[in-house]
Order: sequence, then C-alpha cells, then structure tokens
Amino acid sequence: MDRRRFLEVLGVTGGGTAALAGCSTDQVEKLIPYLVPPEHQVPGVATYYATTCRECPAGCGLHVRVREGRAVKVEGNPESPVNRGRLCARGQASLQGLYNPDRVRGPMARTADGRFEPITWDEAIARLAERLAAASGDQIWFVTGHETGTFDRLVDEWLNGLRSNRRVVHEPFAYEALRRANRDVFNVSALPTYDFAAATYVLSFGTDFLETWVSPVEHARGFSAGHGFAEGRMGRYVHIEPRMSMTAMSADEWIAPVPGSEALLALALAHIIMRDRGAAVPPDALRLRALLAAHTPQGAAARTGVAVETIERLAREFAAGPSLAVAGGIGAQHPQAHVTAAAVNVLNYVAGNVGRTVRFGPEPTVAFGGGYGDLADLTRAMREGRVGVLLVHGANPAYASPAGLGFTDAMGRVGFTVSFARFLDETAMAAHLILPDHDPLEQWNDAEPRANVTALQQPVMQPVFDTRQTGDILLAMARRMGGRVGARFTAGSYKEYLQQSWQALQRRLRNSQPFDVFWAEALQRGGIVTESPPRPVRLGIGAAGAIGEATIWAAPDEPFTLIAYPSPVLHDGRGANRPWLQELPDPVTKVTWSTWVEIHPATARRLGIAEGDFVEVTSAAGTVTAPAYLYPGLREDVVAMPTGQGHTAFGRYAQGRGANVYHLLSAEPMAFGGVAHYAAVTIRNTGRHERLAKTEGRNRQMGRGIARATTLGALVGSETPEAAHEEHAAHAAPVPERIEHILDEWQEAQYAEARRGNYAGEHPRWAMAIDLSRCTGCSACVTACYAENNIPTVGPALVRHGREMSWLRIERYFEGGEHGEPLETRVIPMLCQHCGNAPCEPVCPVFAAYHTPDGLNAQVYNRCVGTRYCSNNCPYKVRYFNWFDYQAPQDPTFAWPEPLHWLLNPDVTVRAKGVMEKCTFCVQRIRGVQHEARLADRPLRDGDVVTACQQTCPSDAIVFGDLNDPTSRVHDLAADRRGYRVLEELNTRPAITYLQKVRNTREA
Amino acid sequence: MTKRVLLAAGVLGVGAALVALRYGAPSAGLRAQQDTTAARSAYVAPVDVDTARLPGPKQPVFYRHDIHAGQYEMDCRYCHFAAEVSRSPGMPTLSTCMGCHLVAGAGNPEVEKVRAAYNEGRPIEWIEIHRLPPFVQFPHNLHVAADLTCQDCHGPIERMPQVYQYASLKMGWCLDCHHEEDVTTECTVCHY
Amino acid sequence: MATLAQPRTPVTPPTYAEITRDVAATLGNPSRGYYILLGFVLTVLAIGVGALLYQIRFGLGVAGYTPPVMWGVYITNFVFWVGIAHSGTLISAILYLFRSAWRTAVYRTAEAMTVFAVLTAGLFPLIHIGRIWYAYWLFPYPNQRQLWINFKSPLVFDVFAVSTYLTVSTLFLIVGLIPDIAAVRDVATGWRKKLYRITALGWRGTDQQWRHYLKAYLYLAALATPLVLSVHSVVSWDFAVSIVPGWHATIFAPYFVAGAIYSGVALVVTLLVPLRKVFRMERYITGDHFDNLAKLLMLTGFIVGYAYATEYFLAWYSGNQFERAAFWNRAFGDYWWATWTMIICNAFLPLFLIFRKVRRSIPAMFVLSLFVNLGMWFERFVIIVVSLSHEYEPYAFGHYTPSWVEWAILCGSFAWFFTWFLLFAKNFPTVSISEVKEIIPMPRKGRAHT
Repeated sequence: MDRRRFLEVLGVTGGGTAALAGCSTDQVEKLIPYLVPPEHQVPGVATYYATTCRECPAGCGLHVRVREGRAVKVEGNPESPVNRGRLCARGQASLQGLYNPDRVRGPMARTADGRFEPITWDEAIARLAERLAAASGDQIWFVTGHETGTFDRLVDEWLNGLRSNRRVVHEPFAYEALRRANRDVFNVSALPTYDFAAATYVLSFGTDFLETWVSPVEHARGFSAGHGFAEGRMGRYVHIEPRMSMTAMSADEWIAPVPGSEALLALALAHIIMRDRGAAVPPDALRLRALLAAHTPQGAAARTGVAVETIERLAREFAAGPSLAVAGGIGAQHPQAHVTAAAVNVLNYVAGNVGRTVRFGPEPTVAFGGGYGDLADLTRAMREGRVGVLLVHGANPAYASPAGLGFTDAMGRVGFTVSFARFLDETAMAAHLILPDHDPLEQWNDAEPRANVTALQQPVMQPVFDTRQTGDILLAMARRMGGRVGARFTAGSYKEYLQQSWQALQRRLRNSQPFDVFWAEALQRGGIVTESPPRPVRLGIGAAGAIGEATIWAAPDEPFTLIAYPSPVLHDGRGANRPWLQELPDPVTKVTWSTWVEIHPATARRLGIAEGDFVEVTSAAGTVTAPAYLYPGLREDVVAMPTGQGHTAFGRYAQGRGANVYHLLSAEPMAFGGVAHYAAVTIRNTGRHERLAKTEGRNRQMGRGIARATTLGALVGSETPEAAHEEHAAHAAPVPERIEHILDEWQEAQYAEARRGNYAGEHPRWAMAIDLSRCTGCSACVTACYAENNIPTVGPALVRHGREMSWLRIERYFEGGEHGEPLETRVIPMLCQHCGNAPCEPVCPVFAAYHTPDGLNAQVYNRCVGTRYCSNNCPYKVRYFNWFDYQAPQDPTFAWPEPLHWLLNPDVTVRAKGVMEKCTFCVQRIRGVQHEARLADRPLRDGDVVTACQQTCPSDAIVFGDLNDPTSRVHDLAADRRGYRVLEELNTRPAITYLQKVRNTREA
Repeated sequence: MTKRVLLAAGVLGVGAALVALRYGAPSAGLRAQQDTTAARSAYVAPVDVDTARLPGPKQPVFYRHDIHAGQYEMDCRYCHFAAEVSRSPGMPTLSTCMGCHLVAGAGNPEVEKVRAAYNEGRPIEWIEIHRLPPFVQFPHNLHVAADLTCQDCHGPIERMPQVYQYASLKMGWCLDCHHEEDVTTECTVCHY
Repeated sequence: MATLAQPRTPVTPPTYAEITRDVAATLGNPSRGYYILLGFVLTVLAIGVGALLYQIRFGLGVAGYTPPVMWGVYITNFVFWVGIAHSGTLISAILYLFRSAWRTAVYRTAEAMTVFAVLTAGLFPLIHIGRIWYAYWLFPYPNQRQLWINFKSPLVFDVFAVSTYLTVSTLFLIVGLIPDIAAVRDVATGWRKKLYRITALGWRGTDQQWRHYLKAYLYLAALATPLVLSVHSVVSWDFAVSIVPGWHATIFAPYFVAGAIYSGVALVVTLLVPLRKVFRMERYITGDHFDNLAKLLMLTGFIVGYAYATEYFLAWYSGNQFERAAFWNRAFGDYWWATWTMIICNAFLPLFLIFRKVRRSIPAMFVLSLFVNLGMWFERFVIIVVSLSHEYEPYAFGHYTPSWVEWAILCGSFAWFFTWFLLFAKNFPTVSISEVKEIIPMPRKGRAHT
C-alpha cells in the first residue's frame, strides 16, 4: 500500500467529512481533543484523544494518536491513575481490533440455510423488537462481559423494564475464588488494590500479577518501583507455583510446591508469624490461633514438598518488613483455590498488611458481578427451553467455557439469539441476528476499573463500518416498545444517557462547575479520580470456616497435573485475531501463532518426547493435541498449556490455530463458582512432529555475558565483587597488559576520525539505557514497536524460517536449572545497538547503512540493494530483511488487508521488497521533535524525544536521550556501575547501555 | 470543531463575496475579471476555456490558480493554510471553497460543480501533480519557515490556469538547493 | 613448477599436416549425441532461468534463507565458479611463462573454461541481491542523486576484481586462438569459413605477425599472472574483513587461492577426459598430461588440507570462545556432514595421487576430480553457511536448508557453463594447433613441410 497515495485520499476525504460533519452526523464534531484546540486538527499534524482501554477489565487510560481523522497509534494516558501513561501489548493491539478486516461490517441475519446475510438496521431492529414483544419477561436473558459503568446500569434497567432479571455476566477470568475468599474472610466481595510499590517483600501464590491478574500494568509499575534496584535498595520477591510463569521469571526465588498445596504453605507461614510475634499480630487474629496451631511447618513441609527451613525462612522474611502476599491468579485456580486465597488473606492480615499494602476501597466499590456459575445456570435454562430471547454482548461463552458445558448445543434450543459481537466469534456464529457494536475506540462509554476511578470512553474517529453502539440500540428498542420500558428512558441516545449519569455523578461529587465544563475536563483527562480513604476491614466470622477445611486439592492419581494458565498475550482468547498478538512471542516460551504443551525436559526424556512432537493430553473432560515445548520451569509432574488459541471461528488470524485448552477443563463449577484451571491428565506422544514457530535459537547464553546479572549483596558490598562479575570474567579471555594497551591505542586511532567528524561539538549522540532489574519481559515494547514503525506480521510459516520482522525482541535465557542448582531466567530486550563503530556500516557497498552525525546507525531503505552483508556482520543480529513484498495485496504475504492498513504510521516508510530494515531509535520521532524545536527556536531538552518502546514500558526500564548532554538521565545511567554493553569486546561501541539485573538473594 | 472552521470560512467568505459584489456582478466570471482587475492588480487572467491546450492534467474542476492567486492576489495560505503549520500542506476542504462561493461566482459552470459536490457531500478528487516517492519526508512547514516561497518549488502558480509540475522534484534537485543554502544533506533528514 | 615442464611428445610424433587435420576434424559436423546433449543442457538452463524469474517476482524469500544465515547457496556458487576460473589462467599464463611445454595440449580447454566460469560466477552476486533491478548502483557512475559507492566495502572490490578478470581472460583466450582459427579457416567451408575469416583478424602467419604475436602473448601472460593471485584474494576478503567467527582469518587469501586452483585443475581434468575420448585426441592428450595435472592437484590439495588444519589450530590457540564455538559447531554441529564431506574429499582423497598408477589412470583421475569438485563446493558452503548459522547471539542461532529454487538455479548455472563450452568446443579448436606444432621435434629431411 502506497503510504502517500493513502494519505492524499485521506487528505481529501478527511477534509470532506470534516466539512460535512456540520450537516450530517454529529459524531465527530463534539470531540474534545486532549489539551489541543480543535482548529489544530490539521492534515499532517497529529491530534490526541483521551479514552479508555477495554481489552481487559483493568481499564487503563488511553491517548489515541489521530492523523487525518484516523487513529494511528494507541498510547497510555499519563493522567490515568491506573496505568500512568504505560500500556501492555494487548492495549497496544486494540488498534487492530478497530481496523480488523474480519469485523462484522453491518447488521446480519441468519438465513434458513445457516448463512449470514446483511440486512438493514431498521429491519434488524424491527425483528428484535418483534421477538422481544413476543417473549415474556423472564424468558429474556442478557449475557454481557465484565461491565462496570453506565452500560452496566443501562442493561439492568432495560431488562428490568422488560420484567426480566436474567442478567448473566461472563468474564472468563472473573477471580471467583478471590472474591469468595474476600467475602468469607473480610465480608467484602470487592477486589482490593495492592500496593506493590510499598511492599519490600512480595510473596505470590501462583498469581501472575504482571500478566493478566486484575490490573497488570498498574502492578508492573508498582512492582518495578518496589523491586527495581535503586540507591542500593530493592525489594525481594518470592514466587510459589508449580510452574514458572512470566511473572515468576522476575522472582528472586521460585518455589514449586506440590500442585494445589499452597494453602498449607500460607497457613504455615501464618502459624510461624503468630508463634514468633504473638503480641504484634492484630488482636482479633488471635481467634484463629487455635486453628493455625494445627498448621505446623513440619506438617506443611510433608504435604507441600517444601523444606521446613525454607518455610521458616519465608515466614521470617515475610514478617520482617512491609510485605504483600497475593493469591487468586487464574494460573493457580485449582478446585481449592478459594481456600488458598482465604489462607493468603489470613496471612496478610496476621502480618498486618491489610490496610497497608492491601487496601479495600470505599462503598460502593466496583465488584466483578456473577461468574461462571451463572453461565452454568443459563446453559441449564437454555437446555430446558426456558430461554426465549438470548442477547449476548461482549462475551464469547461458546469459546471460553469448558466443552463439557455444551453451551453451543444448548444455544440451539434458544428461540432467538441476538449477538452484539464485533466479530463472527463462536457465539455469534450460533446467533440468529447480529447487531455489530462499535469498537471501543468508536464508542461513548465509561468504566469504573477500580475504586475512586471513573474513566470515560469517547469515539476517536468516525466508525469504520456500518455498526451501531449497543447502548443506542437498547434505547431505540425501549422507545419503540414504549410502555413500561419506554417510560424509563428519557435519553435520546446513549451519549445523552451517559451524560445523564455523569450529571448524577457530578451531583454526588458536589461539583459546582457547569456540567459542560465538568464534562469537557473529564473528556480531556479521560475520566475523573475521586479521593476517599481506604476502608478498614476486620476478620469476618467466616474466616475460621474458610481456612478451617483447609483441604488441599490432591490430583486424582493420574500421572500429571495440567495447568491451563492464562496467556499473557492472548488473554482468554479475545486477542487471538490480532496479528500483532499472534506474532508476539510468548514471553516465556517464545512460541508464536500456536498452542503448545509445556513439559519438563526430564519428563520428556522419560517419555521419549522431543520438542515439536505432537502430544495428546487427555483429561476426564476431553482430549487435545498440541506440540510439546520442553520447559525447565516446571515440576516434573506438571504439564502446562496456555489459554487463547483453538478458535473455530473469530476471523482469519484466529480460526483453526492451535488447540483450545478449555476442552480439558471440568464443566462443573467449583465450590467458589468458577472453572478449575487444574486438571489431572495423561499424555501420549502421537508421533506426529512439527517445528515450533518460535523465535528463539538457543535458550542458554553459553557464558557469553549477554544478559548479565549480579546480586544485591555484591552491589552493597557484603559479598565479594568477584561473585558479581564472575560472568564477565568468564566470557572475556584474559588478555596481556601489553596487548590491552595496543588494542586501546588502535581503537582510539580508529575512532579519532569519527569523533572529529561527528561526536564533538553541538551534535547530540542519541543513546539508550535499559535497566534489566526492572524489565519483566512482558513484551509490551515489542508490540509498541510494531505499531509505531509499520512492521509487517509474517505468519507462522515465515517465523519458522526465522523471518519475523520484529525490530525489538525480548531474548530469554536460562541459567542453572540443571543438577540441583535453582533455575534462573534472564530477559534482555535486544534491538539495534546503534554502535559508534558499527560493523554493518563499512561493508555496505552503497552507503545504505551509514552513521549519522547525531550517532544514529541509519538505514536508508531506498538506497539499499539487498546484499545483506550488513546483517551477516551484525553481531547482535538485529537487522531484518524484506524477503517478500508485505504491502502488495496480490501477494500471499500481504500484511495489511484493508482496512488494517489504516493503522500504518504516515510518518514512517513502509519498506519495499528486498531491502534491509532495523530499529531506527524512532528517528521519525527524533526528527519531529527537532523540527518543532527548530520552529519554536528552542533547544532540545532531555525527555523531549521518547521512543515508542520507552513510552509504553510498564516498568519504566527504558531511558532514551542525548549522551552528549551531561544533564541527561541516559548520560548518568551510561556511567552506572551496573552498566555494561553487550559484546563490547568486539569494539562495536554500542549506544545502548544495559544495567545488570540484580537478584536479591539476601536471606534473613 | 468543523463548526468553527465553517464559521471562520463563512465570515471570510462573506467578506470576499462583498468585495466581489463591489466590483461588478459576480455572475459572469469574465466581466468580473475585467472590472476587478482594472482596480485590483495589473494582471488580467486570460479568458481560457480550452483546458486540453494547457500544460498539466485536466482536473475534475477547472480551478484557476491564475484567477485566485494571480488576479485576485489571494495568499496561497488562505486555502493551503496547513503548509505553514504542518509537514503536509493538505488539500483545502470544500467548506473553504464555499466560504466565498456560497455567494461568489454563481452561474460559472465550474463553480456550480463545486457547489453541487458540496451539497451532495462528496469530496472532489483532484489529480495529484506534485508527487514525492513514499520514502521521502518533506516537511512543508520547515521550508516555509526558511522563507522559501511557494513558487520556488511549484513555479509561477499564480500564472497557471491549470497547474503543471514545475520542478523535477528529483533528489538531485533537492540537494542542489540544500548545498547552495548550506543546509543539511543528511540522509535521515528526509529518508526514514 | 619447472619440474612439471618435462616436454614429453607423443610416441609417434604426428606431422604438422596431421595435427591440423586431427584438430580440424573436431570441428566437423556435430553428431546426434551432441545435439541431444546440447538440448538437455538448454532445458536445464531454461529451468534455472524460470526459477530466477519466480524469485524476482515474489522475492528472495522463495530461497531457503533462514536468518541469521543471510548468504547461502548463491554466494557458495559464486565463490565456487570464481575458483574454477583460476586454473585456466594458471595453466595458460603461468606455465607459459615457465615454459612448461606440456601445457600446450590442454591450455586451450583450460582457458575456455576460465572465461565461461567467470561468466557464470558473475551472475550470482546479481541473483543473490534483494533488488536485482538496482544492481547497477554497485558501479561508480555519476548520477543525479549525487550518490557514490562505498570503496571500503569488499563487495565493491568484487565488482572490480571479477570484471577485470573477465576482460583479461577473454582477451587472452581470443589472442591465443588467432593462429589456430587461421589454420582451420584454410580448411573450413561454408558459413564457418566466413566466421573464421573474420575472427582470424587477417592472420597470414608471416614472420612479422608471429614476432608481434608472440610479444603480445607474452605481455598478456605477464598481465594475467598476478590476477591469478589477486582476484581470489579479493574474493576471500568478502569474508576475511568481516567479524564473523570462522570468516575473520588472515590465512584466507592464500587459502582461497590454493583452493581455487585446486578446484580449477580438477574441473580441467573432468572436462579433458570426455573431450579426449570424443575428439579422439589420445595422441595429443596423453597420460603425461594427466600426470602433470595430478601433480598440480596434489600440490594445491596439500595446501588446502594444511589450511584446514591451521584454521582449527588457530581457533583453539586463539582462546577466543566465539572462534572455538564456531569451529566446534562446524565439526560436530548440525552441519557435520557437510564439513566431513569437504575434509574427506579435499584433504584425504588427493593422497591417492601419491601413487603414479593413480595419476596415470584416466578413470581414476576422472572420479577423483569429481570428488574434488564436490568437496570444494562444500568447502564454500561450510565456510559461508555454517559460520553464519552460529555467530555471537545464541538466541539468534538458526538453521538453513536450501530450497528447490536454489538447487534449480545451481543446476541452471552448470547448464549455462556447459552451453558455452559445448558451443565453443564445436566451433573452435580445443587443442592449440600452433603450439602443439611448436613442441614436436623438427621434421627430418625428405618429409615435406606443410
């Protein structure tokens, strides 16, 4: 797709629509750009709109960059207290939901022969109205996803108007266990906020708080603040789970107990704390003394397989400082998960963390409604024919529920099913009528992600397709039907309805401004934040009962326990039709575009399974087959599979890819009303083999010191420095003094030229610093880079050939893990190092690769002839070649099927077939800022230029700036004692300084 | 936002229209030209209907820069306002045209085309003339700020009844000027 | 070299007339077999061209490239063919300067082979680049974009090395041909006669012409000689100047030159054996010739073997972990089979040449030469592909296997080479008439000169 042609067309039509907005729709004209007066909506100049991310319940604030009336980039909203301007990979990819080629482009009805054919909105609404009129109240069921704002109220009111209370909320990751435990122990059914920043000691019981759990971006920010090394201090983090998740990769210590036994561990810790510091624990906790007395460390050690001294140590460490224990992760949601959560609640309470690092919001607080149990009820009702009209919005239960539930079959017995889906997902395929909703980026809406935060959503552009917001449809329906339900609603449109509820909110807040001002400010900020003190909670009556029957879940005597863990990339599967997410390597396994079964190498050896062998996993509920991935981060009696793949519908990128792990899970709701993500399974090698589409060559760094780590002890000097730098010593062969001297002279001589020409004087020297003690490997930066730099996705076949184009990759290396010593994981973002003395430059015959005066290692696409010598000579292997034409619609490798190409960044060239490309340090952003500065006649300040990866990094691990500016952050970090440059012995003079990862091995 | 644009355009439009009225009937384009030129500028745009004879491609509307920019001496940036503030000059929206032509130029067939398009709400798809390859970044605003005139690159637009490409717009052509003016010839200033 | 220069003439020396007759006979009407062979070769060539067009349409991805292996079979072929080209000049120029008479019967074949091999080699840099339609950017020419090429890049050295070599070797071949063309001109008929009359450049064989001719030939030989060493040294720098472990070595230039001559001589043998049979040249191309070629093979083969040993020794002795890992990977990594094929074919099989019996046995020599060619191709494959597959960044290690397109183009390149060779062999004397005449003893009294 020719970027400029596309722009020209936009320039015209964009202008045209703007002119017409006056007379036709009022969709766009009332938009309030973020702090930029509307008349600055100029072709070629970006405008930012504040809205809210709806990719998961966390509800991060967004800034959407709009060019020529099209959203081209999504970034975090710095004013949102949830994410503070940062964003995860899923949030970055929300743009591909907006422009997805497989979106439902208009209302559709199922014909007799089961196909869908487009109909008009009037007809669609007429059909629905008629069905609703026919159905009696309690036959009307409404399934929604997790909704917390005005829409939630609208649905309830609307149903109520129709004399129905059949509302089902289906959120696959609804944390039923945690909510049940909170109810039992604290009489609060809400989720608290967790202060990872304040905790110097974090204990996670199988909770992936950096991946999907509750609010990952917020947690990542807090965690990196509390655990990242700074001024000789850092927190300590111990992860307890049979599998080492992405979150656990950042842990200082990983403990793999017997699956399902975490509760005992937590209680044993509580026991020890109670025993050692009886006086210090909150008085009302003493009630539990007798109960806890039973949970001796010895007893726990016997059943969890964790040594007594380890347990004692953990307890001492935990009791020592402001600490935080978290539980309730989906990856640990076994049938007794609520007991674990309750035990952890007690542990936190006993240690006095509740109210400090665990804070419950004020009433009324945001609670996850419903849960899997309700869905089971609905299914029963459907099977019994008690459902006349089923409306489904924002949920895909046909996919994200155990096959044993038989939701799809049951839908067959429903009189009339209406889906508001934006995609033809599994549920929509079984519907009679599809009334496509707007994409969240085209919607008016609001959400209350957590206490004190009410976030607004506004349309950032005109709708891409002929869709309508569900809220508007419900209101229209009410008006049409009149009577009881019609009377309830005065609002003409959902936007008006929303504003009404915000007027109510304003009154509640006793805000005296005129509503327009209040509204406008809220839109500019992306919502409002209220202040209110945390609510003190006490141990409830149920506490004793909750942990009383601390029966640990013992897997039936099948050889293996399966953990169906939540995919940090595809979440519950809603991300599966986004090419960016499909191609984003899983942070742990580095596999793309497929499902895999994680098996411990020893187990695999025993069963004669090699990586890529298709393994048949069978549980009581069913069987799935997927290729094996040998992963040392597992107990030998555990196998693990991610959620998210194995769609039978849902669009070209998702359909028929991998296997759906839900087929292995029991359909029976657990005691806490959720799905158990653990299952007892047997595995069998089918003999079929396929090379995994993974981006990783070798998972050990062969002592080459690429991802380096040291220990806190070594840095604060309680340990010998050798211990810290042993690795460095190992990877550089000893060189005689004399030779060193000669080499240095040679380097200087060789470098003098460059310095004279380039780095002396006023020129900046762009450089980056990456703090490995903060990087969690979450890979948000990777997707941000795809979005900013028009990087094509290439699909699994090409990934197998190592032809992925990802300019920025997260390398994951294992240390230890063999014969006894603990397994350690290292992650390091690898991108073009912009070497001061770059090997790629001299070998280019045509100067396509050359060095700019401001220290960038430039690649001029249109000069490149494609000899690929630069890539051969790049020790970091960060140059990517266009093997095919990714912008030719007629080619099989076309990466941006319309309208996906609308998200292309107009400031960046879309590279042609046969040229080399690589990280540019976001040169378009650098030049943009330089131009602005030039026009404003002001010098560049540190922090003016922000690269896409830096902007989105949830843990603030990346710093970019001018090395020649002595006041810049990057200048200081480059001189940090933790700083090193990868493969610097090659004299490449990289512009990127990595700060060693720090492991807090301090053991109290 | 477009409301404001419309408003601004409207105000200016009415003003321009009054001027047009003051100098003779806006109905007949030809007479308007002669009357006004007598008073306004030395340059009289030729009466020209044969677009085929003129250099440059035939546009959906025979918009005459020589009348607007030449005879009436309108500033280029009245329509191409973005050139000053943005990398890309953008095409003037229809509302900009209607600012004047709500009143002015009635009866002129070309103006009627514009009005028709505006009322039907379909943008006019002009034929692009000055076209850079997609891998070139050319910030108009910087060049305007550097006191280049539009004519330096686009030629005597104010004398073109129909616009044609004036400069080669080839890389060598860019570099010549950059060398002369002693500004950067660094590749990544234009190519990224 | 002088030791190789024992002039051994055919047992019963043919008369001048016989020589002219025998050689001219090779230009007689082609047999059916010839046309079948030519047809086959052209078909393969067509397949190769088809594959190339397919690659140009869809992009280099249709080849098996798997990053980090950015160079594969194409560059292997390039180095292979450039290597082949070297023996020609060696035999014709250097041995000429050393006045080793035995070369006379074989040098024409060798020279022709040189020219065609360079023609083939020259194609591959083009085939392997991503945007073949901009290949001309590699030449320094003034352009409106005011851009220049990077003379630091060894790829630019290549452009000059190969083009120079092509020019000189072609010139050398043509000049050498002149007297012979004149000779066959006098016996030829039909359109061929016209062709020869033109290409003979009016050669009449006068003393004056001969005097000038010999001078020119001598100077050309002197000019060509350094190229034998320089061209392949330059090619070796493509690798030696990089920082890739397994490439970055100072011994590359001599190592490559020896290898080049080695493979070149091997191909000469491969070509001479059938030629000799088909054209009934047993009287001119005798066991002595093969013996001498074998000695050349042996010498260069030993140098190559020594180079291998040196590489591994240095990798170990340098103490550089990257070098060590690279060479360990060569011998015992995924590509062990390629490495051992190369070592056995190039370093061990030539040891058989120690036995005179083997050296003088035509079939043995033929088989051996085939093995050497195979081995030398794999040498380049190992150096290029295996080194690239395991560089510095363990995360980025990869494994490359060529695709059908690359094999098709490889076969196409052989077809291209043999097309030229077949056409040449049928239209120009493949044995130098004049020079063979030079080395037969002066005819005795009574027998008339012709």
